[in-house]
Amino acid sequence: MADPPLRTEGLTKRFGNVVALDHLDLEVGKGEVVGYLGPNGAGKTTTIRLLLGLCRPSDGRAEIFGFDCQHQPVETHRRLAFVAGEANLWPSLTGAETLALLGRVHGGLDEAYRDELIERFDLDPTKKVRAYSKGNRQKVILIAALMVRPDLLVLDEPTSGLDPLMEQTFRHCVHEARDRGQTVFLSSHIMSEVEALCDRVGILRDGRLVEMGTLAEMRHLSALSVEARFDGAVPDLSAVPGVSAVQADGSAVRCQVRGSIEPLVKILAAAGVTELLSREPSLEELFLAQYGGDGHAG
Amino acid sequence: MQANLGIRARITAPVRAGGSPATVVAAFSRRKAVRSGILWGYIFGVAIASSEISYVKLYKTAAQRSALAATFGTSKATSALFGPATQLQTVSGFTAFKISMALMILGAIWGLLTSTRLLRGEEDAGRWDLLLCGQTTRRGATAQVIASLGAGLVALWAVTAIIAVASGLDSSVGIGVGPSLYFSLAMVATAAMFLAVGAVTSQLAATRRQAASFAATFLGASYGVRLIADAGVGLHGLVWASPLGWVEEVQPLTSPQPLALLPIAAFTAVLAVVAVRFAGARDAGASIVADRDHGEAHLKLLYGPSGLAIRSMRATVIGWWVAIGLSAFLYGLIAKSAGATVTGSVKGVLSKLGSTGTGADAVLGACFLIEAILIGFIAAGQVTAARTEESEGMLDHFVVRPVSRSGWLGGRLIVALVVLVPSGVAAGVFGWLGAATEHTGLSFTSLLGAGINLVPPAIVILGIGVLTFGLRPRATSIVTYAVLGWSLLIVIVGGFGTVSHWVLDTSVFHHMASAPGMPANWTANGIMTAVGVTAALVGVLAFKRRDLQGR
Ligand SMILES: Nc1ncnc2c1ncn2[C@@H]1O[C@H](COP(=O)(O)OP(=O)(O)O)[C@@H](O)[C@H]1O
Ligand SMILES: [Mg+2]
Repeated sequence: MADPPLRTEGLTKRFGNVVALDHLDLEVGKGEVVGYLGPNGAGKTTTIRLLLGLCRPSDGRAEIFGFDCQHQPVETHRRLAFVAGEANLWPSLTGAETLALLGRVHGGLDEAYRDELIERFDLDPTKKVRAYSKGNRQKVILIAALMVRPDLLVLDEPTSGLDPLMEQTFRHCVHEARDRGQTVFLSSHIMSEVEALCDRVGILRDGRLVEMGTLAEMRHLSALSVEARFDGAVPDLSAVPGVSAVQADGSAVRCQVRGSIEPLVKILAAAGVTELLSREPSLEELFLAQYGGDGHAG
Repeated sequence: MQANLGIRARITAPVRAGGSPATVVAAFSRRKAVRSGILWGYIFGVAIASSEISYVKLYKTAAQRSALAATFGTSKATSALFGPATQLQTVSGFTAFKISMALMILGAIWGLLTSTRLLRGEEDAGRWDLLLCGQTTRRGATAQVIASLGAGLVALWAVTAIIAVASGLDSSVGIGVGPSLYFSLAMVATAAMFLAVGAVTSQLAATRRQAASFAATFLGASYGVRLIADAGVGLHGLVWASPLGWVEEVQPLTSPQPLALLPIAAFTAVLAVVAVRFAGARDAGASIVADRDHGEAHLKLLYGPSGLAIRSMRATVIGWWVAIGLSAFLYGLIAKSAGATVTGSVKGVLSKLGSTGTGADAVLGACFLIEAILIGFIAAGQVTAARTEESEGMLDHFVVRPVSRSGWLGGRLIVALVVLVPSGVAAGVFGWLGAATEHTGLSFTSLLGAGINLVPPAIVILGIGVLTFGLRPRATSIVTYAVLGWSLLIVIVGGFGTVSHWVLDTSVFHHMASAPGMPANWTANGIMTAVGVTAALVGVLAFKRRDLQGR
């Protein structure tokens, strides 16, 4: 059995009193696209910096293709490419110079693919980095990571600053990478992105991995979304067993139900419901259910 | 899509409490400017005090003072280079002559670097983006930063004045409070003008580097104009065409002309207003003078971190080499005539300063201390450049690729040595050229040795810097410059023989023999090199074990 592209065991990072990451156990299989979802401050970047050997773990360990992330960083880095959410590049280099430098440092540059990516992301490589917008700088580091066709792509909120069209291009590129057998680890706080790209999703909150599964498994785990409309007054649903995330809006109400739907249906019927809609929740709603009405951790 | 946006907005962190972005930027730049003003005020003050004290100690009798005045007071060359020398038979006149030009130029460099850093540099780094999204206009932000620079200037003047007044009150020096305050004011006048020049060039130029080089070119031109004015070729009126000339005309300590402060104040105020106007007139991040935002790809040095480091610092380093070569050449030129005025009792003092030589070689030995200090600054700059690469996040791009941390830092260290060693060689070779021009009779090998002799203290500074970088990265800059500043202070103060050798030993420059006045001490140099290299290696090991850390 070949070593998995990514595996962590009890990976922990403390900054003083803050536990940024708490005993993370994670395994990503070859060819998987795994989403890593969590609000700001959940510990996504910390996890990725540990995987890259930029930070030392307080406890536990991480491996990439069987190489220890802390002790064999160079070996792991030969197999992966990383895209950060913020692209601090050298202002006086042009886009082309930056890509040449990063390609040479990594090795294994596919020049034809690079040129194709420049075309697809609509980047002007003759411009100096200081003249690029944030989105354009983000394109540079995306191209730099994709163009070496690494076995593992580690992406930390990679689409920040990209316009919707370029976000679409990015999604195509990730699909292509998966089709070629590359593995992708994608951290994000944008549900639709993860939903569109990932086979499996982990949800991180306050440094702890609170959910991990396929999209289908997560749906099963989670609540049903219910929308109801009334002729008369909207009943108070907050005390109904299994119901959460109640949002009343005029004569309509939205909520989520876990477990049995019976108590809710009884109350709705008694209140004179005129319209009832229920469906599987989107990942967004899953997320809301996970964190309650408030999107913030902590 | 709707829900998505809603959640995104909710998850995004709110703006940190504690003031609007505008006041945060103003507070940030004021803190930076005032801190820097205090540090440089200390350097200015120590320079003034040491000059006053050294004169009193070196030239005790009226006869010695008259001899000095006779030699330098009539020299057209020194007048052109350093400004006119009047009343050299007094402490005031000597101090004004000896350090005015140096402080004027240092003050100008401080001013243009500080204002281009806090105006153009912060904007380049994108830290104004947040600010300018809010209600603050570019014009308002520029005005706020200029006000902060004013606070930095006041700090510079205050600290300079405190030290100058204290030293002037010493009974052997005997300069009153008023003259000391006035002299300090004159010494920071160029800083004021070049803060304003830097503010304007920050609006004109497209990058901080370009803004600084525009301002530096203006400084060079100002110096050149006043050099011609003071060269005694009948063009003294030209002195009014140069900002440096105005400061010279203020004539602090000798025959004060407060009216000359008028053009200085007017120039500063007008440029500050112009800078704010220009700031309002241009686009975000844009410049008034068009810059090439497009370029052909030049890939020659772009093979990795070391190649990139060489590429990005090469202009600065060549500038340092030219400065070292030129000044060493000048020292070589004046060594013979200056050596001739060194009388018996002065030789005694010079030997306390570490020179055993008898004339030109002793003078060169003393002058080369300044080159050693410059090379120390280069070493400190190399360390802080490495730290900046980490704190600004550029290092990440290398170490997430197959570049080891020790490979990166080791490469930087080799680049640093490739910069430092030729700096020493340049001092030696150009010092020899200057001396040979005047038939001073110093051998090439002795001066080359004296030049290389300047490198080991810089290696110690480099080593301590790298050690700090490994253990306490956020303290890198402050510790490295503190070691340099302390060493500088001790070697100046220690020259008067009142400091215990334990304290003297803490100065890296104290361990360097003043070659060519004294034979270079290759044992001490070997030990310094070993200490520097060992500290650097420990620093590399510590760096391998720690987290990378941002600002
Ligand atoms: N260098 C650091 N020093 C101290 N605390 C840190 C540091 N880096 C991250 N943290 C803290 O760790 C937690 C996780 O941060 P991070 O990994 O950046 O979250 P995310 O990427 O999910 O937004 C936060 O509470 C953050 O404040
Ligand atoms: Mg993050």
